Amino acid sequence: MLVNKIWHCLLIGDYMTKRFTVIILSIVLCTSVLFVSCGYNSSDLYETQEFLMGTVVLQKIYHENAAEIAKEVNDRIAEIESTMTINKPGGEINLLNDAAGKEYVKLGEDTLYVLDKAKQYAEISNGAFDVTIGPLVKAWGVFTDNPRVPSKNEIDELLKLVNYKDINIDFENSTAMLAKEGQIVDLGGIAKGFAADEAVEIYKEHGVKSALISLGGNIFTLSGKPDGSPWMVGIRNPRGNDGSYIGIVRVKDKAVVSSGDYERFFEKDGVRYHHILDPKTGYPADTGLIGTTIISDFSIDADALSTAVFVLGLEEGMKLVESLDGVDAVFITADKKIYVTDGLKDTFIFKDESKEFEYVEKR
Amino acid sequence: MLKKGDFFILGFVLILIIVSFTGVYLYKNSGSNAHKIAVIIKDNEEIKRIDIDNVNEPLEISVSGEYNNIILVEKGRIRFKEADCPDRVCVNTGWLTGKGDTAVCLPNKTMIKIEGQSSDVDIVTY
Repeated sequence: MLVNKIWHCLLIGDYMTKRFTVIILSIVLCTSVLFVSCGYNSSDLYETQEFLMGTVVLQKIYHENAAEIAKEVNDRIAEIESTMTINKPGGEINLLNDAAGKEYVKLGEDTLYVLDKAKQYAEISNGAFDVTIGPLVKAWGVFTDNPRVPSKNEIDELLKLVNYKDINIDFENSTAMLAKEGQIVDLGGIAKGFAADEAVEIYKEHGVKSALISLGGNIFTLSGKPDGSPWMVGIRNPRGNDGSYIGIVRVKDKAVVSSGDYERFFEKDGVRYHHILDPKTGYPADTGLIGTTIISDFSIDADALSTAVFVLGLEEGMKLVESLDGVDAVFITADKKIYVTDGLKDTFIFKDESKEFEYVEKR
Repeated sequence: MLKKGDFFILGFVLILIIVSFTGVYLYKNSGSNAHKIAVIIKDNEEIKRIDIDNVNEPLEISVSGEYNNIILVEKGRIRFKEADCPDRVCVNTGWLTGKGDTAVCLPNKTMIKIEGQSSDVDIVTY
Protein backbone atom coordinates (compact mmCIF):
# COMPACT_ATOMS: atom_id res chain seq x y z
CA MET A 1 0.00 0.00 0.00
CA LEU A 2 2.71 2.39 1.07
CA VAL A 3 4.75 1.44 -1.95
CA ASN A 4 1.79 2.17 -4.17
CA LYS A 5 1.36 5.59 -2.63
CA ILE A 6 5.02 6.42 -3.11
CA TRP A 7 4.83 5.35 -6.75
CA HIS A 8 1.73 7.43 -7.10
CA CYS A 9 3.54 10.51 -5.81
CA LEU A 10 6.52 9.89 -8.04
CA LEU A 11 4.52 9.30 -11.20
CA ILE A 12 1.72 11.76 -11.12
CA GLY A 13 2.43 14.07 -8.19
CA ASP A 14 3.27 17.68 -8.93
CA TYR A 15 6.84 18.80 -9.06
CA MET A 16 7.13 19.66 -5.36
CA THR A 17 5.57 16.39 -4.25
CA LYS A 18 7.99 14.47 -6.46
CA ARG A 19 10.95 16.31 -5.11
CA PHE A 20 9.76 15.86 -1.56
CA THR A 21 9.19 12.13 -2.06
CA VAL A 22 12.62 11.60 -3.58
CA ILE A 23 14.28 13.41 -0.69
CA ILE A 24 12.36 11.41 1.89
CA LEU A 25 13.14 8.18 0.06
CA SER A 26 16.84 8.89 -0.07
CA ILE A 27 16.94 9.78 3.61
CA VAL A 28 15.20 6.50 4.39
CA LEU A 29 17.70 4.68 2.15
CA CYS A 30 20.71 6.25 3.81
CA THR A 31 19.46 5.63 7.32
CA SER A 32 18.85 2.01 6.47
CA VAL A 33 22.38 1.77 5.10
CA LEU A 34 23.61 3.03 8.45
CA PHE A 35 21.41 0.66 10.41
CA VAL A 36 22.24 -2.37 8.33
CA SER A 37 25.98 -1.76 8.35
CA CYS A 38 26.18 -0.93 12.02
CA GLY A 39 23.70 -3.53 13.10
CA TYR A 40 25.63 -6.34 11.49
CA ASN A 41 28.69 -6.50 13.62
CA SER A 42 29.99 -9.30 15.76
CA SER A 43 28.92 -7.78 19.07
CA ASP A 44 26.88 -10.82 20.03
CA LEU A 45 29.76 -13.18 19.23
CA TYR A 46 31.32 -14.88 22.22
CA GLU A 47 34.78 -16.27 21.62
CA THR A 48 36.93 -18.28 24.00
CA GLN A 49 39.93 -20.55 23.92
CA GLU A 50 41.22 -23.02 26.42
CA PHE A 51 44.17 -25.42 26.54
CA LEU A 52 42.59 -28.89 26.68
CA MET A 53 43.32 -32.36 25.24
CA GLY A 54 46.88 -31.28 24.55
CA THR A 55 45.73 -28.57 22.18
CA VAL A 56 43.76 -25.33 21.97
CA VAL A 57 39.99 -25.57 22.08
CA LEU A 58 38.45 -22.53 20.41
CA GLN A 59 34.75 -21.79 20.56
CA LYS A 60 32.77 -19.11 18.73
CA ILE A 61 29.19 -18.96 19.92
CA TYR A 62 26.35 -16.65 18.90
CA HIS A 63 23.89 -16.95 21.75
CA GLU A 64 22.88 -15.39 25.02
CA ASN A 65 24.63 -16.87 28.08
CA ALA A 66 27.28 -18.16 25.65
CA ALA A 67 29.90 -17.97 28.40
CA GLU A 68 28.08 -20.56 30.48
CA ILE A 69 27.57 -22.82 27.49
CA ALA A 70 31.25 -22.57 26.58
CA LYS A 71 32.18 -23.46 30.14
CA GLU A 72 29.91 -26.51 30.05
CA VAL A 73 31.53 -27.58 26.79
CA ASN A 74 35.04 -27.16 28.19
CA ASP A 75 34.10 -29.19 31.27
CA ARG A 76 32.73 -31.95 29.08
CA ILE A 77 35.90 -31.98 26.97
CA ALA A 78 38.06 -32.11 30.10
CA GLU A 79 35.99 -35.07 31.28
CA ILE A 80 36.49 -36.90 27.97
CA GLU A 81 40.20 -36.12 28.09
CA SER A 82 40.66 -37.57 31.57
CA THR A 83 38.68 -40.68 30.62
CA MET A 84 40.47 -41.40 27.35
CA THR A 85 43.99 -40.02 27.67
CA ILE A 86 47.08 -42.20 27.96
CA ASN A 87 49.38 -39.24 28.53
CA LYS A 88 48.27 -38.75 32.11
CA PRO A 89 47.60 -41.36 34.78
CA GLY A 90 44.07 -42.45 35.57
CA GLY A 91 41.15 -42.85 33.21
CA GLU A 92 39.50 -45.78 31.55
CA ILE A 93 41.84 -46.33 28.60
CA ASN A 94 44.78 -46.68 30.97
CA LEU A 95 42.78 -49.32 32.86
CA LEU A 96 42.04 -51.12 29.60
CA ASN A 97 45.71 -51.02 28.57
CA ASP A 98 46.95 -52.13 31.98
CA ALA A 99 44.64 -55.15 31.89
CA ALA A 100 45.66 -56.13 28.33
CA GLY A 101 45.87 -59.91 27.97
CA LYS A 102 44.57 -60.34 31.50
CA GLU A 103 40.98 -59.40 32.07
CA TYR A 104 37.92 -57.50 30.96
CA VAL A 105 37.51 -54.04 32.48
CA LYS A 106 34.34 -52.09 33.10
CA LEU A 107 34.07 -49.05 30.82
CA GLY A 108 31.69 -46.12 30.55
CA GLU A 109 29.32 -45.53 27.68
CA ASP A 110 31.57 -42.92 26.06
CA THR A 111 34.65 -45.12 25.95
CA LEU A 112 32.74 -48.13 24.63
CA TYR A 113 31.20 -45.97 21.91
CA VAL A 114 34.54 -44.54 20.82
CA LEU A 115 36.24 -47.97 20.90
CA ASP A 116 33.46 -49.42 18.77
CA LYS A 117 33.68 -46.55 16.28
CA ALA A 118 37.46 -46.98 16.16
CA LYS A 119 36.99 -50.66 15.31
CA GLN A 120 34.49 -49.82 12.57
CA TYR A 121 36.89 -47.39 10.93
CA ALA A 122 39.73 -49.87 11.23
CA GLU A 123 37.57 -52.38 9.38
CA ILE A 124 36.43 -50.14 6.55
CA SER A 125 39.95 -48.78 6.07
CA ASN A 126 41.41 -52.26 6.15
CA GLY A 127 43.56 -51.40 9.15
CA ALA A 128 44.94 -48.10 7.84
CA PHE A 129 43.40 -46.49 10.92
CA ASP A 130 44.11 -48.63 13.96
CA VAL A 131 43.98 -47.42 17.56
CA THR A 132 46.06 -50.38 18.78
CA ILE A 133 49.06 -48.52 17.27
CA GLY A 134 49.89 -47.46 20.88
CA PRO A 135 53.08 -49.53 21.42
CA LEU A 136 54.65 -47.98 18.29
CA VAL A 137 53.57 -44.43 19.15
CA LYS A 138 55.28 -44.96 22.48
CA ALA A 139 58.44 -46.38 20.91
CA TRP A 140 58.79 -43.45 18.50
CA GLY A 141 57.99 -40.96 21.26
CA VAL A 142 56.68 -38.47 18.72
CA PHE A 143 54.59 -36.73 21.36
CA THR A 144 57.41 -36.51 23.88
CA ASP A 145 60.34 -34.12 24.15
CA ASN A 146 62.70 -36.89 23.07
CA PRO A 147 61.48 -38.60 19.90
CA ARG A 148 63.69 -41.32 18.43
CA VAL A 149 63.85 -43.77 15.53
CA PRO A 150 63.37 -47.30 16.89
CA SER A 151 65.39 -50.14 15.39
CA LYS A 152 63.87 -52.29 12.65
CA ASN A 153 63.81 -55.24 15.04
CA GLU A 154 62.00 -53.29 17.72
CA ILE A 155 59.43 -52.11 15.20
CA ASP A 156 58.83 -55.61 13.85
CA GLU A 157 58.37 -56.95 17.37
CA LEU A 158 55.92 -54.20 18.31
CA LEU A 159 53.96 -54.61 15.07
CA LYS A 160 52.81 -58.00 16.39
CA LEU A 161 50.84 -56.10 19.03
CA VAL A 162 49.02 -53.95 16.50
CA ASN A 163 45.66 -55.42 15.55
CA TYR A 164 42.29 -53.80 16.04
CA LYS A 165 40.64 -57.23 15.99
CA ASP A 166 42.17 -57.81 19.43
CA ILE A 167 39.84 -55.20 20.92
CA ASN A 168 37.07 -57.32 22.41
CA ILE A 169 33.98 -55.40 23.41
CA ASP A 170 31.24 -56.90 25.54
CA PHE A 171 28.33 -54.47 25.28
CA GLU A 172 26.06 -56.54 27.49
CA ASN A 173 28.36 -56.16 30.48
CA SER A 174 29.85 -52.81 29.41
CA THR A 175 33.35 -54.23 29.44
CA ALA A 176 36.25 -54.58 27.04
CA MET A 177 39.59 -56.33 26.89
CA LEU A 178 42.68 -56.31 24.73
CA ALA A 179 43.66 -59.83 23.73
CA LYS A 180 47.44 -59.68 24.20
CA GLU A 181 49.60 -58.41 27.02
CA GLY A 182 51.50 -55.28 26.05
CA GLN A 183 48.83 -54.02 23.67
CA ILE A 184 48.09 -50.31 23.98
CA VAL A 185 45.06 -48.47 22.68
CA ASP A 186 45.76 -44.83 21.78
CA LEU A 187 42.62 -42.83 21.00
CA GLY A 188 44.62 -39.76 19.90
CA GLY A 189 43.25 -40.10 16.37
CA ILE A 190 39.58 -40.18 17.30
CA ALA A 191 38.89 -38.78 20.80
CA LYS A 192 38.97 -35.13 19.69
CA GLY A 193 36.42 -35.95 17.03
CA PHE A 194 34.17 -37.49 19.63
CA ALA A 195 34.62 -34.48 21.91
CA ALA A 196 33.62 -32.08 19.10
CA ASP A 197 30.42 -34.06 18.50
CA GLU A 198 29.63 -33.93 22.22
CA ALA A 199 30.20 -30.18 22.24
CA VAL A 200 27.69 -29.79 19.42
CA GLU A 201 25.16 -31.80 21.43
CA ILE A 202 25.55 -29.31 24.26
CA TYR A 203 25.06 -26.37 21.87
CA LYS A 204 21.87 -27.98 20.59
CA GLU A 205 20.54 -28.66 24.08
CA HIS A 206 20.85 -24.95 24.80
CA GLY A 207 19.18 -24.02 21.54
CA VAL A 208 22.30 -22.41 20.07
CA LYS A 209 21.61 -21.56 16.43
CA SER A 210 25.10 -20.70 15.30
CA ALA A 211 28.46 -21.81 16.68
CA LEU A 212 31.86 -23.10 15.73
CA ILE A 213 34.28 -25.22 17.73
CA SER A 214 37.86 -26.12 16.91
CA LEU A 215 39.72 -28.74 18.95
CA GLY A 216 43.22 -28.21 17.70
CA GLY A 217 41.96 -27.81 14.17
CA ASN A 218 39.25 -30.45 14.42
CA ILE A 219 36.45 -28.15 13.43
CA PHE A 220 32.72 -28.45 13.74
CA THR A 221 30.36 -25.79 12.43
CA LEU A 222 26.89 -25.73 13.90
CA SER A 223 24.52 -24.38 11.27
CA GLY A 224 25.81 -21.38 9.30
CA LYS A 225 26.74 -17.89 10.45
CA PRO A 226 24.01 -15.75 12.06
CA ASP A 227 23.27 -14.07 8.71
CA GLY A 228 22.62 -17.50 7.21
CA SER A 229 25.78 -17.65 5.13
CA PRO A 230 28.04 -20.70 5.40
CA TRP A 231 31.13 -20.77 7.58
CA MET A 232 34.36 -20.26 5.66
CA VAL A 233 36.83 -22.90 6.80
CA GLY A 234 40.40 -22.63 5.54
CA ILE A 235 42.23 -25.87 4.70
CA ARG A 236 45.66 -25.69 6.26
CA ASN A 237 48.65 -25.25 3.96
CA PRO A 238 50.82 -28.25 4.99
CA ARG A 239 53.98 -26.34 4.14
CA GLY A 240 52.92 -22.95 5.51
CA ASN A 241 52.62 -21.53 8.98
CA ASP A 242 49.78 -21.97 11.43
CA GLY A 243 46.79 -20.17 10.00
CA SER A 244 47.91 -20.30 6.35
CA TYR A 245 45.64 -22.15 3.95
CA ILE A 246 45.47 -23.49 0.41
CA GLY A 247 41.73 -23.23 -0.05
CA ILE A 248 38.40 -22.67 1.62
CA VAL A 249 35.38 -24.90 2.06
CA ARG A 250 32.00 -23.29 2.66
CA VAL A 251 30.10 -25.40 5.15
CA LYS A 252 27.04 -25.56 7.40
CA ASP A 253 26.51 -28.29 10.00
CA LYS A 254 29.70 -30.07 9.03
CA ALA A 255 32.81 -31.41 10.66
CA VAL A 256 36.07 -30.45 8.95
CA VAL A 257 39.17 -32.31 10.12
CA SER A 258 42.67 -32.26 8.67
CA SER A 259 45.56 -34.63 9.16
CA GLY A 260 49.06 -34.01 7.94
CA ASP A 261 52.74 -34.65 8.30
CA TYR A 262 53.21 -31.10 9.59
CA GLU A 263 51.32 -31.49 12.86
CA ARG A 264 54.04 -33.29 14.82
CA PHE A 265 57.39 -34.25 13.44
CA PHE A 266 61.09 -34.39 14.18
CA GLU A 267 64.22 -34.59 12.12
CA LYS A 268 66.98 -37.12 12.56
CA ASP A 269 70.04 -37.41 10.31
CA GLY A 270 68.37 -35.20 7.74
CA VAL A 271 65.22 -37.33 7.56
CA ARG A 272 61.88 -35.92 8.57
CA TYR A 273 59.71 -38.26 10.62
CA HIS A 274 56.08 -37.32 11.22
CA HIS A 275 53.56 -38.62 13.73
CA ILE A 276 51.08 -40.53 11.55
CA LEU A 277 52.34 -44.10 11.73
CA ASP A 278 51.28 -46.70 9.19
CA PRO A 279 49.94 -49.67 11.22
CA LYS A 280 51.19 -52.01 8.48
CA THR A 281 54.83 -50.89 8.48
CA GLY A 282 55.29 -49.27 11.87
CA TYR A 283 56.96 -46.28 10.17
CA PRO A 284 55.49 -42.85 9.40
CA ALA A 285 53.01 -43.24 6.55
CA ASP A 286 54.74 -42.59 3.25
CA THR A 287 52.14 -42.65 0.51
CA GLY A 288 52.84 -39.38 -1.22
CA LEU A 289 50.35 -37.30 0.78
CA ILE A 290 51.24 -34.38 3.04
CA GLY A 291 47.74 -33.36 4.05
CA THR A 292 44.23 -34.76 4.04
CA THR A 293 40.96 -33.15 5.09
CA ILE A 294 37.61 -34.84 5.64
CA ILE A 295 34.28 -33.03 5.60
CA SER A 296 31.39 -35.03 7.09
CA ASP A 297 28.32 -34.84 9.30
CA PHE A 298 30.04 -36.08 12.45
CA SER A 299 33.44 -35.14 13.74
CA ILE A 300 34.29 -38.61 15.04
CA ASP A 301 34.01 -39.93 11.47
CA ALA A 302 36.03 -37.06 10.03
CA ASP A 303 38.77 -37.50 12.66
CA ALA A 304 39.23 -41.24 12.07
CA LEU A 305 38.90 -40.95 8.30
CA SER A 306 41.38 -38.10 7.91
CA THR A 307 44.05 -40.34 9.43
CA ALA A 308 42.87 -43.41 7.51
CA VAL A 309 43.03 -41.75 4.10
CA PHE A 310 46.37 -40.15 4.92
CA VAL A 311 47.77 -43.65 5.48
CA LEU A 312 45.96 -45.12 2.45
CA GLY A 313 47.25 -42.55 -0.03
CA LEU A 314 45.48 -40.67 -2.82
CA GLU A 315 44.04 -43.50 -4.92
CA GLU A 316 42.90 -45.81 -2.14
CA GLY A 317 41.84 -42.94 0.09
CA MET A 318 39.77 -41.35 -2.66
CA LYS A 319 38.10 -44.69 -3.33
CA LEU A 320 37.22 -45.11 0.35
CA VAL A 321 35.76 -41.61 0.70
CA GLU A 322 33.74 -41.87 -2.52
CA SER A 323 32.25 -45.12 -1.21
CA LEU A 324 30.86 -43.40 1.91
CA ASP A 325 27.66 -41.36 1.94
CA GLY A 326 27.89 -37.71 2.94
CA VAL A 327 31.68 -37.70 3.23
CA ASP A 328 34.00 -35.50 1.20
CA ALA A 329 37.74 -34.97 1.19
CA VAL A 330 40.62 -32.76 0.12
CA PHE A 331 43.95 -34.44 -0.64
CA ILE A 332 47.26 -32.62 -0.86
CA THR A 333 50.15 -34.55 -2.38
CA ALA A 334 53.87 -34.17 -1.76
CA ASP A 335 54.26 -32.75 -5.28
CA LYS A 336 51.88 -29.98 -4.16
CA LYS A 337 48.79 -30.94 -6.08
CA ILE A 338 45.33 -30.61 -4.60
CA TYR A 339 42.54 -33.08 -5.34
CA VAL A 340 38.96 -32.92 -4.06
CA THR A 341 36.08 -35.41 -4.17
CA ASP A 342 33.18 -34.75 -6.56
CA GLY A 343 30.91 -33.51 -3.76
CA LEU A 344 33.29 -30.60 -3.11
CA LYS A 345 33.74 -29.39 -6.67
CA ASP A 346 31.14 -26.64 -6.15
CA THR A 347 31.95 -25.57 -2.61
CA PHE A 348 35.75 -25.71 -2.57
CA ILE A 349 37.45 -22.42 -3.27
CA PHE A 350 41.07 -22.79 -4.34
CA LYS A 351 42.91 -19.91 -2.69
CA ASP A 352 46.61 -20.43 -2.26
CA GLU A 353 48.49 -17.33 -1.21
CA SER A 354 51.81 -19.21 -1.30
CA LYS A 355 51.25 -19.86 -5.03
CA GLU A 356 53.04 -23.19 -4.67
CA PHE A 357 50.07 -25.51 -5.05
CA GLU A 358 48.16 -26.64 -8.09
CA TYR A 359 44.47 -27.47 -8.01
CA VAL A 360 43.75 -30.54 -10.12
CA GLU A 361 40.06 -30.30 -10.94
CA LYS A 362 39.93 -33.28 -13.28
CA ARG A 363 41.54 -36.54 -12.43
CA MET B 1 12.35 15.60 -19.34
CA LEU B 2 14.54 16.44 -16.39
CA LYS B 3 14.06 19.88 -15.03
CA LYS B 4 16.84 21.91 -13.55
CA GLY B 5 15.53 21.18 -10.06
CA ASP B 6 15.74 17.46 -10.73
CA PHE B 7 19.48 17.73 -11.08
CA PHE B 8 19.62 19.37 -7.67
CA ILE B 9 17.68 16.51 -6.21
CA LEU B 10 19.82 13.97 -8.01
CA GLY B 11 22.93 15.71 -6.72
CA PHE B 12 21.50 15.87 -3.24
CA VAL B 13 20.63 12.18 -3.25
CA LEU B 14 24.07 11.23 -4.57
CA ILE B 15 25.81 13.30 -1.92
CA LEU B 16 23.60 11.81 0.76
CA ILE B 17 24.47 8.28 -0.37
CA ILE B 18 28.19 9.02 -0.58
CA VAL B 19 28.17 10.68 2.82
CA SER B 20 26.34 7.82 4.48
CA PHE B 21 28.62 5.17 2.99
CA THR B 22 31.80 7.05 3.89
CA GLY B 23 30.33 7.68 7.32
CA VAL B 24 29.87 3.98 7.85
CA TYR B 25 33.30 3.24 6.45
CA LEU B 26 34.97 5.82 8.69
CA TYR B 27 33.03 4.62 11.71
CA LYS B 28 34.06 1.04 11.15
CA ASN B 29 37.72 1.98 10.80
CA SER B 30 37.92 4.65 13.44
CA GLY B 31 38.91 4.67 17.07
CA SER B 32 39.00 1.33 18.78
CA ASN B 33 37.70 -0.39 15.66
CA ALA B 34 40.79 0.34 13.63
CA HIS B 35 43.33 -0.39 16.31
CA LYS B 36 44.77 -3.85 16.52
CA ILE B 37 44.61 -5.24 20.03
CA ALA B 38 46.94 -8.14 20.81
CA VAL B 39 46.19 -10.44 23.70
CA ILE B 40 48.62 -12.76 25.46
CA ILE B 41 47.11 -15.78 27.18
CA LYS B 42 48.97 -18.10 29.53
CA ASP B 43 47.32 -21.14 31.14
CA ASN B 44 43.90 -19.96 29.98
CA GLU B 45 44.36 -16.56 31.68
CA GLU B 46 44.74 -13.31 29.81
CA ILE B 47 47.99 -11.84 31.11
CA LYS B 48 48.42 -8.86 28.80
CA ARG B 49 46.46 -6.75 26.38
CA ILE B 50 48.33 -4.34 24.09
CA ASP B 51 47.22 -1.85 21.48
CA ILE B 52 49.99 -2.81 19.05
CA ASP B 53 49.30 0.14 16.75
CA ASN B 54 50.36 2.40 19.60
CA VAL B 55 53.69 0.68 20.15
CA ASN B 56 56.47 2.91 18.87
CA GLU B 57 59.52 1.25 20.38
CA PRO B 58 59.96 -2.54 20.04
CA LEU B 59 58.87 -4.25 23.23
CA GLU B 60 59.81 -7.65 24.60
CA ILE B 61 57.64 -9.63 26.98
CA SER B 62 58.83 -12.76 28.77
CA VAL B 63 56.40 -15.50 29.64
CA SER B 64 57.75 -18.23 31.85
CA GLY B 65 56.22 -21.48 32.96
CA GLU B 66 57.15 -25.03 32.09
CA TYR B 67 59.15 -23.45 29.27
CA ASN B 68 60.05 -19.86 28.47
CA ASN B 69 58.76 -17.69 25.67
CA ILE B 70 59.88 -14.24 24.62
CA ILE B 71 57.25 -12.29 22.76
CA LEU B 72 58.27 -9.36 20.59
CA VAL B 73 55.94 -6.48 19.83
CA GLU B 74 56.56 -3.85 17.17
CA LYS B 75 54.24 -1.26 15.71
CA GLY B 76 51.29 -3.16 14.27
CA ARG B 77 52.72 -6.64 14.72
CA ILE B 78 53.56 -9.26 17.33
CA ARG B 79 55.36 -12.61 17.37
CA PHE B 80 57.02 -15.30 19.43
CA LYS B 81 60.67 -14.31 19.16
CA GLU B 82 62.26 -17.05 21.22
CA ALA B 83 61.16 -20.24 22.95
CA ASP B 84 62.98 -23.08 24.64
CA CYS B 85 60.17 -25.57 24.02
CA PRO B 86 61.07 -28.60 21.90
CA ASP B 87 59.03 -27.95 18.77
CA ARG B 88 59.28 -24.15 18.46
CA VAL B 89 56.11 -24.13 16.37
CA CYS B 90 55.26 -20.80 17.97
CA VAL B 91 58.44 -19.11 16.74
CA ASN B 92 58.06 -20.60 13.26
CA THR B 93 54.58 -19.13 13.00
CA GLY B 94 56.27 -15.75 12.56
CA TRP B 95 54.66 -12.32 12.71
CA LEU B 96 51.00 -11.81 13.43
CA THR B 97 49.78 -8.74 11.59
CA GLY B 98 46.08 -9.08 10.85
CA LYS B 99 42.94 -9.36 12.92
CA GLY B 100 42.19 -12.94 13.88
CA ASP B 101 45.84 -14.07 13.58
CA THR B 102 47.00 -16.40 16.34
CA ALA B 103 50.18 -18.19 17.39
CA VAL B 104 50.36 -20.87 20.04
CA CYS B 105 53.06 -22.48 22.15
CA LEU B 106 51.33 -25.69 23.24
CA PRO B 107 54.15 -26.96 25.49
CA ASN B 108 54.08 -23.76 27.52
CA LYS B 109 50.34 -23.18 27.11
CA THR B 110 50.92 -19.67 25.80
CA MET B 111 48.93 -18.05 23.07
CA ILE B 112 49.02 -14.69 21.34
CA LYS B 113 46.31 -13.38 19.10
CA ILE B 114 45.14 -10.21 17.49
CA GLU B 115 41.52 -9.65 18.35
CA GLY B 116 38.91 -9.53 15.63
CA GLN B 117 37.88 -11.50 12.60
CA SER B 118 39.90 -12.20 9.53
CA SER B 119 37.89 -11.17 6.51
CA ASP B 120 38.41 -14.26 4.33
CA VAL B 121 38.02 -17.24 6.63
CA ASP B 122 36.35 -17.90 9.98
CA ILE B 123 38.89 -20.53 10.98
CA VAL B 124 41.67 -22.71 9.56
CA THR B 125 42.18 -26.44 10.15
CA TYR B 126 45.48 -27.87 11.34
